[in-house]
Amino acid sequence: MARAILRRLGLSLLVIWLVTVLVFLSTEVLPGDALQVSLTADEAAEMSEEDFARRREELGLDRPAAVRYADWLVAAARGDFGTTIIGKANVTDVIAYPLRNSMLLGLVTALVAIPAALAIGIAAAYWRGRAPDFAASSGAILGYSIPEFASGNFLILCFAIWLPVFPAVITAFTKDPPAALLGAAFLPVLTIVIGSIAHLVRLVRAGFIESLNSDYVERARLAGASRLRVVLRHALPASVIPALNSAALYVAGLLSGIIVVEKVFGYPGLGLVLINAVEKREVAVVQAISLIAAVIVVTMNLLADAAVMALDPRARSR
Amino acid sequence: MRIDAFALRKPAAVMGLLLVVVHVALALFSPWLAPFDPTELVGGRVEAPGAEFLLGTDVLGRDYLSRLLHGGRMALFVTFTGVVAAVVVGSLLGVAAAYFGGALDDVLMRICDIKLALPGILFVSLFITGFGESFVVLVTLIGLVYFPGVVRIVRAQALTQVNLGYVKAAQLRGESAASVIAREILPNTLDVVYVEFAIRMSHAVLLLSTMSYLGLGLSPPTPDWGLMVSEGVGQLAFAPWLVLFPAVFISTLVIGLNFGAEALANALGMDASRGHVGGT
Repeated sequence: MARAILRRLGLSLLVIWLVTVLVFLSTEVLPGDALQVSLTADEAAEMSEEDFARRREELGLDRPAAVRYADWLVAAARGDFGTTIIGKANVTDVIAYPLRNSMLLGLVTALVAIPAALAIGIAAAYWRGRAPDFAASSGAILGYSIPEFASGNFLILCFAIWLPVFPAVITAFTKDPPAALLGAAFLPVLTIVIGSIAHLVRLVRAGFIESLNSDYVERARLAGASRLRVVLRHALPASVIPALNSAALYVAGLLSGIIVVEKVFGYPGLGLVLINAVEKREVAVVQAISLIAAVIVVTMNLLADAAVMALDPRARSR
Repeated sequence: MRIDAFALRKPAAVMGLLLVVVHVALALFSPWLAPFDPTELVGGRVEAPGAEFLLGTDVLGRDYLSRLLHGGRMALFVTFTGVVAAVVVGSLLGVAAAYFGGALDDVLMRICDIKLALPGILFVSLFITGFGESFVVLVTLIGLVYFPGVVRIVRAQALTQVNLGYVKAAQLRGESAASVIAREILPNTLDVVYVEFAIRMSHAVLLLSTMSYLGLGLSPPTPDWGLMVSEGVGQLAFAPWLVLFPAVFISTLVIGLNFGAEALANALGMDASRGHVGGT
């Protein structure tokens, strides 16, 4: 088992490294350079060749791409993502609090969505082909079909404008303590939770149907185990395996959802920072956020792999 | 390919296919259906629905009904082009990876891993920062985002075929690799390819409309439902229909595509549920 986990760890590190190459290539090498994309057409027209050369030197863009990549990678590994072009702020400082705020949002969402999805998915599988299954399965398709920007604004309309229970725009600030942010985060969390449950329910249902039909559940049933015991002790552990195998997709979907609801509600997280950075062509910030997201997804996937191995002896030898 | 026509007659399937047909027809014929040019300023700002402008005007004074009717046209064109490219390229690479194995297989699987590690929104944001948001860039990005998933699924299906007798027989007859792939294996993966196309279309429409809403996809003055929601949110309290209508239109399109994909998968005897996580 230790060897299998080490192998996955190595593979994960390889993927992270490949992502760093992609992140660097997509933003720095192919289309001109960071300086050009950060300038508006007017600014570029006003600058002479010497101005360009001087700014390139300031930004270190006069050096070969491979050298810049190596420097960037070494610095990034130490948590240093450079400085922004406008305002010369340290990128790590720019993203630190928003990262915390976004992780808070993701954590709360997962804590609500995972137990709810397990309960709904198991109920749907247990009453397969009957009303609860139909409701859960159709509800799931509706849940992940409706874009978060649509459902989020609909919730604002319902619960902030027609029924003014919550504020329409979040009044929390970037450096507020978590408790203050959470108080303001009810509607954003609700928005992502809907999509999140929808994604998970189908996986849990599929996994649970598979394990209900398996030989070991049949054996437990024949051995006289009670219904509840069959469901909880025998079928449940195996049923989460397909969901765990899709952990990377789930976490990636969750991150996307977080980015969107932050824009919808004005929640001071990484998604808002990202959108502003893309609009202002702040390459260093976009690079840093992409890399952090990839590390989060890969790490969660690795943990899920380890969990699968712990739950399923067959996975250890693969 | 055996089609189970019964699965296509279920209420959910009929509803899904109907929604897709209506939306595609709307996208094709909106120039003839819309009363005004969707980008022309024809009235005052945010006029209420009335006799001249059936759904009123938007924040700039453009006829809202005309914009609404046009709102899926560009998005469907971009996503359809990108997804067709992704499915064609992904299928060929997937079958090739299964058939040849080795280094090609390894490289493609690592590309899939990279894609898995980066959410679609971030992948698109990354490239838009460098390349801008032109039509060609958006189509290419849709293609790039969705081809690894197609490779993975088609490869898995092709792997079930490569060691079967009919493939061996073709090899023993001395057929070339290209001919074995094109004439023997590919036809037996087509069911999976069709379902992949339907699922990826729903994902791509969702992703592109989300990017447009965020200001990182289609750009103004294009009439697009994602853009229209973001243009209308300032008026949410006074003119909620500016947000509600495009939100309903984009949602019904994706709902139709998803129920349609599900119906197709059932009709072909497959389970679509596993491919569906992480839409955007």
